[in-house]
Amino acid sequence: MDLTVGKFLRFFIFVFILALLGWLLYELSTIITILIIAALIAYILDPIASYLEAKGISRTFATSIIFIFVFLIFALLIWLFIPGLLDQLIDLQSSVSLQSEDNIILSVENFIKNNIRILNVDALNLREKINSTLDLLAYELVSILGNIISILPAILIVPFIVFFLLKDGREMKKQFIHYIPNRYFEMSLNVLHKIDRQLGSYIRGQFIEASVVALLSILALWLLDVKYFTVIGVFAGLANMIPYVGPVAGAIPAIAVTWLNGGTVPEILYIVIAFAIVQLIDNILLQPMVLSRSVNLHPLIIVLAILIGGQFFGLLGMLLAVPAAGVLKVTSRELYNGVRKFRLL
Amino acid sequence: MDDDTMWGNVFRKDSKEHESIYSVLSKIPIFKDLTKRELRAIERILHRRNYKEGEVIFNEGDPGVGMYIIEKGRINIILGKEQKLLAVLSDTEFFGEIALLSETPRTAGAISVMPTQILGFFQSDLFGLLETNPGMGNKILIRLAQMIADRLRYSNLENQQLKLKIAKFEENVSKKKVS
Repeated sequence: MDLTVGKFLRFFIFVFILALLGWLLYELSTIITILIIAALIAYILDPIASYLEAKGISRTFATSIIFIFVFLIFALLIWLFIPGLLDQLIDLQSSVSLQSEDNIILSVENFIKNNIRILNVDALNLREKINSTLDLLAYELVSILGNIISILPAILIVPFIVFFLLKDGREMKKQFIHYIPNRYFEMSLNVLHKIDRQLGSYIRGQFIEASVVALLSILALWLLDVKYFTVIGVFAGLANMIPYVGPVAGAIPAIAVTWLNGGTVPEILYIVIAFAIVQLIDNILLQPMVLSRSVNLHPLIIVLAILIGGQFFGLLGMLLAVPAAGVLKVTSRELYNGVRKFRLL
Repeated sequence: MDDDTMWGNVFRKDSKEHESIYSVLSKIPIFKDLTKRELRAIERILHRRNYKEGEVIFNEGDPGVGMYIIEKGRINIILGKEQKLLAVLSDTEFFGEIALLSETPRTAGAISVMPTQILGFFQSDLFGLLETNPGMGNKILIRLAQMIADRLRYSNLENQQLKLKIAKFEENVSKKKVS
């Protein structure tokens, strides 16, 4: 009897702690997001700080140099791209939701009437379906804009956290390891190192690949005189993080925008060729260098991750779902391997 | 600990402790070629651990992750289920250095026989040094290679002597059989 009561009490306490943890995570989700973003940035910048430190510069000075450099790059990027990016986002959102709805529907209906006569245009009820899809797209674009504005205070806090993580991160990690009991010390150190090595190359690789693909796409679309080239280029860079569908998903908005603005077939063909060249550069030059595909997620996991990301965090969630799944896979795999090797299971 | 970090200030060590680590490190063969500044950098990446009497540091068969330097105390190196004593190590001696190069299972276990303070230097730290500071990493690597080469030479000599002994023994046995 006592045993059953004791078991029940333990179970109750366990569920209570789990619920408390879940509630805390939910309540602190904004702060946790800020911390994760700051940690990711610090992670990307850490090798540069270590390199400078090895050259004889103190960690504080190395961190300061990186900060000044990153600040200058950001200032340049903001000066060059942000006004255009915001204008393009607002313009794209208003044109999608208001002005060109009828044009889109008419052109799609005409295309079907002329080329796919088997389909009955009236029976398809295109107007209603396209209207609801465009409303959703416009809502997503506005929500991204809204998110950017609502996280402005966070954007100001993130650099502060990044500075201290970059400067004192190693010491914090050492202190954390210091408190691990002797029995688990070697295993924890081994697992932490392996996770660090794999995640480091994965996250840095994804960042470099997405940035280069975005920049190349912006350049190609600007040369081809495609409208909203900055927004589409940034989207192509982010979409590139999704294996299989990403590269295609990046090209679709460019083709759609050109087509809806009365683009000709050769113009669309040039866009396809431009994206194919960007992909070729990514596959032949970038990927072998950055090793970001080393995580090898199963296609089913990718689809599930995208669906879950989309369900919880919308378009942005879909884009970041694959790297997040990669991080989870590496962490759990190394943790499991470590525990098994040290015969703790 | 790095003096210029916030955490360095929170967990500041006194100068005696600093000198003690420094004097221990300068006696370790693999750190012999390092300058004072380089030794300070090593000190920053070392992990200090305290073990009670009878506490296991690692078991035979565990994956090797790095070497340990005894700062204060005594360690028994043991082999097999019967815990056959292979060596007793004390202040400024070190063990497990092969694990700096390969993650093969530990060939023996280590257990503390009195309250012991050790410094851990791990493979990940050495590889990190080779990436960020190749000059310093190579100094350690060359010393490590020399140490292992010396040991290999000694083992080869021992092997040759044993082979000679076995050959002599076999010769004696065959002579006895003939007679």
